Amino acid sequence: MIGNLLSLIRFYFFYPSFFVVIIFPGLLFTGILLLTTIWFERKAAARVQMRVGPYYASKKLGGYLQLIADALKFVFSEVIIPAGVNETLFAIAPILLLLVSILPFAVIPVSVIPQSGSVFSIYYHDFYDPNVGYGVLAGIFTCYNLLLILALESIYPIFVIFLAWVTNNRFAIVGAVRETFLSVSYDALILIATLSVAIEYHTLDLAVIVQKGIPGVIVNPIAAFIFIVGMLIGSSRFPFDIVEAETELVIGPYTEYSGFLFVLTMAGSYVGNFIYSLVFVDLFLGGWYPFSGLPGAAIMTFKAVLLLFFSVFLRSVYGRYRIDQALRGSWKYLFPLSLISLITGTLVGYLWL
Amino acid sequence: MSQTTVQKPIDKILAELKAKGIIAKAESESRGSLEVTKDKIIEIAKIMKELGFDHVIAVTGIDFPEQQKIQVIYHVSSYSVEDLQKIIFAIKTYVDYKDPSLPSLTQIWGSAWTGEKETYEMLGVRFEGHPQLSRLFLPEDFEGVYPLRKDFKIKLEGLFVDKPG
Amino acid sequence: MEVEVVPVQGELNVGPQHPGSGHMRILVKLNGDIVEDCELDVGYVHRAVEKLGENRNYMHLIPLVERPAILDSIHMNMGYVMAVEKILNVDVPERALYLRSFAAEVNRIASHLYGLGILGIFIGHSTAFMWGFGDREVWLQILEALTGARVTNSYIIPGGVRRDLTPSIIEMTKKAIVYMRKKLKDWEKIFLKNPTIMDRLQNVGVMTREQAIEWGAVGPNLRASGVNFDVRKAEPYAAYSKLDFEIPVYKEGDGYARTLVRFEEMEQSMRILEQIIKDIPEGPILADRFLKQIPPIRMKKWVQGQGRIVLPGYYASFRPPRGEAAARVEASRGELFYYVVSDGSPKPYRLRMITPSYRAIYVFKNLCKGARYADIVSIYGSLDYFPPEADR
Repeated sequence: MIGNLLSLIRFYFFYPSFFVVIIFPGLLFTGILLLTTIWFERKAAARVQMRVGPYYASKKLGGYLQLIADALKFVFSEVIIPAGVNETLFAIAPILLLLVSILPFAVIPVSVIPQSGSVFSIYYHDFYDPNVGYGVLAGIFTCYNLLLILALESIYPIFVIFLAWVTNNRFAIVGAVRETFLSVSYDALILIATLSVAIEYHTLDLAVIVQKGIPGVIVNPIAAFIFIVGMLIGSSRFPFDIVEAETELVIGPYTEYSGFLFVLTMAGSYVGNFIYSLVFVDLFLGGWYPFSGLPGAAIMTFKAVLLLFFSVFLRSVYGRYRIDQALRGSWKYLFPLSLISLITGTLVGYLWL
Repeated sequence: MSQTTVQKPIDKILAELKAKGIIAKAESESRGSLEVTKDKIIEIAKIMKELGFDHVIAVTGIDFPEQQKIQVIYHVSSYSVEDLQKIIFAIKTYVDYKDPSLPSLTQIWGSAWTGEKETYEMLGVRFEGHPQLSRLFLPEDFEGVYPLRKDFKIKLEGLFVDKPG
Repeated sequence: MEVEVVPVQGELNVGPQHPGSGHMRILVKLNGDIVEDCELDVGYVHRAVEKLGENRNYMHLIPLVERPAILDSIHMNMGYVMAVEKILNVDVPERALYLRSFAAEVNRIASHLYGLGILGIFIGHSTAFMWGFGDREVWLQILEALTGARVTNSYIIPGGVRRDLTPSIIEMTKKAIVYMRKKLKDWEKIFLKNPTIMDRLQNVGVMTREQAIEWGAVGPNLRASGVNFDVRKAEPYAAYSKLDFEIPVYKEGDGYARTLVRFEEMEQSMRILEQIIKDIPEGPILADRFLKQIPPIRMKKWVQGQGRIVLPGYYASFRPPRGEAAARVEASRGELFYYVVSDGSPKPYRLRMITPSYRAIYVFKNLCKGARYADIVSIYGSLDYFPPEADR
């Protein structure tokens, strides 16, 4: 009886739609990763800048608990709602923002399920992908997941603009306008870079791309470069920290937010960055290949975390570009480059893959 | 020997001013001054600019309550003429309490902008023709008095303060 | 193809509580991303130095005049003391002059590092910010060892300086120079040659030579616009007539040139420091006239024993003769001008203090017109505008 119940719990716990989205690498893991990323960001920057960084909250852990303390402080600090805004919308906007940024977890394939030998093997048939020949470890199995991820990610800026509009702050509005300009340019870059890979591998299924066994960075390095730059712009990382631009716009669209709602707004961009990193790993770094099951998911997430750490580390190396420079850079130099990557993708896909 | 034959820049300036009928005096090798009435100040400023004094270092107002006058001093110097770089020339003029106004020199020296604004708010000297004669440092609700006039007294604690009680 | 630009106008109120405004308010009138007009609302840290100056004794003013720019306090102090000395007609002994130059150059490096740090954080480069403040500490420690205080030194007094140089300070300075030379190479790699920094500073806030002269720019900002003017050369004070150094001049007039001028000035300052360490003559550090007034016991214990001046009672409320004096020094941010009028009482009749940032107000205002909104901070940082110094 108890054994039966345990196996039932086990069945539902490891059911990919739950496990991938909620546990790993979904909500729970992302939450911890968020703190780790911010800790790493601060610690690495401190290292470069002749400082110590977070230290006192837990000396043995290198100050890691400082972030938990910060999070607690944010949770319990007062949420100030400025006069003259719609309170419902004001409270709901950051939640929507985080929601939208976290949605793509549902469709990103993080590993494959072998027929036997893995904890996920019981779901083999439910998540079977005929094109791959394995089950696919993803929240929702679909063979157009690449398309879905890009579609979901491209809604994100709309919610940033919505949030800025709700707060009715001039700096927020200027930040939103910048976000509008940038989103058009980085979405184009990411779309074309992804498209060139999709054409190269003749598929819109990330699992198929990974199972080919040839990382995209080898067959199309230009697309990889463009994707990384697009990712940096898209998630407001340095040197494209243009939307938030502290000394110019206070903190851009999130200026009016405080307390817990502020944490949500900040989490949005980190989650977005992590999702882009996951997609990048699938597209260009071979994803989980050649592993499968849980180790495959771990390997893939590890790569994505490295990429995330790299993108937050850029803070201590670069300054901030101006909006017109970023736009000129992306349309004048990167856009033609992305077209080249498209041609490369078509040719290589036709000749080799 | 050549030291004596070469004319010092300040003497040259004085001579040139004298040729135009303006009396100026030199306090040292690098400081000179002249006094003008306020109707002549634009004319003098133009002459000084022709001589090479191309910027205003400071516009200073000094209050003389006994004489019911405010002295306004323009300290001018030069960047472009190398010989004049070390000279600071003071152009002094007076305005009455009754009509504390002067023609603005911003048309001749743009760099007088800040100093004239400050002298306006601190001493109440109006500079006619200044492009933006408004408050600079003082808060918006500071009214009626001019802080740098001598009749504006500030409360001082002094060195030795008696403790109350 | 003709592109029709729809004007999108609006005003932004940057400051006084804004990460990029400092202690002031910048009213920006925007047309799209272009600044149409810019109004500087300064005065948030106005401390009425000129009015207080009329109510304090000459000596009591020394700590006051250095407050507006505490990170440049040696220069603020020196300019004022030079004006007072002119009225008093005091000759300063040679060693004191060298010590003044020494303190001033240490202060110049510290101040430039501060300015570069602020410029760095304004354009998003947090590493420059931290490095600027970290490396500045090295020089502040020298100042602390020499004067007894990190920032508000009150080191220079009429007739000389307060403390003598010790061998340990010389040792510290030598080490600091070696460290800074090494560090400047790193600075060049991460800041000067950084593509983002170059893009943000080059061709931004361009001030031509004519404009610089017309607007009355000072210091590094002036020299970056191609005007070779430095008070240390034009009207040498302290020991500068005996020291060998160069004035870096650039023609571009943009933010990058201003940054380069500051970088090279730091190197020149270190050259000056090396020369001072080598050439500094022996002798008293206070004019004879004041040294005589120190009681013999104190003289033996403090002045001869520890190289520190115990201020004689004369200083408390001396009455200089009637007269006026205008003195100027090359402070870190540019020409600093003092005009002191004495009426024979122990307090100045009028004290006029024109700081470099005060003169940068007009320059800043003019440079902002036509710039992009994001460039305001980069112009602000590259001018090294310091609101408390401007407000006084």
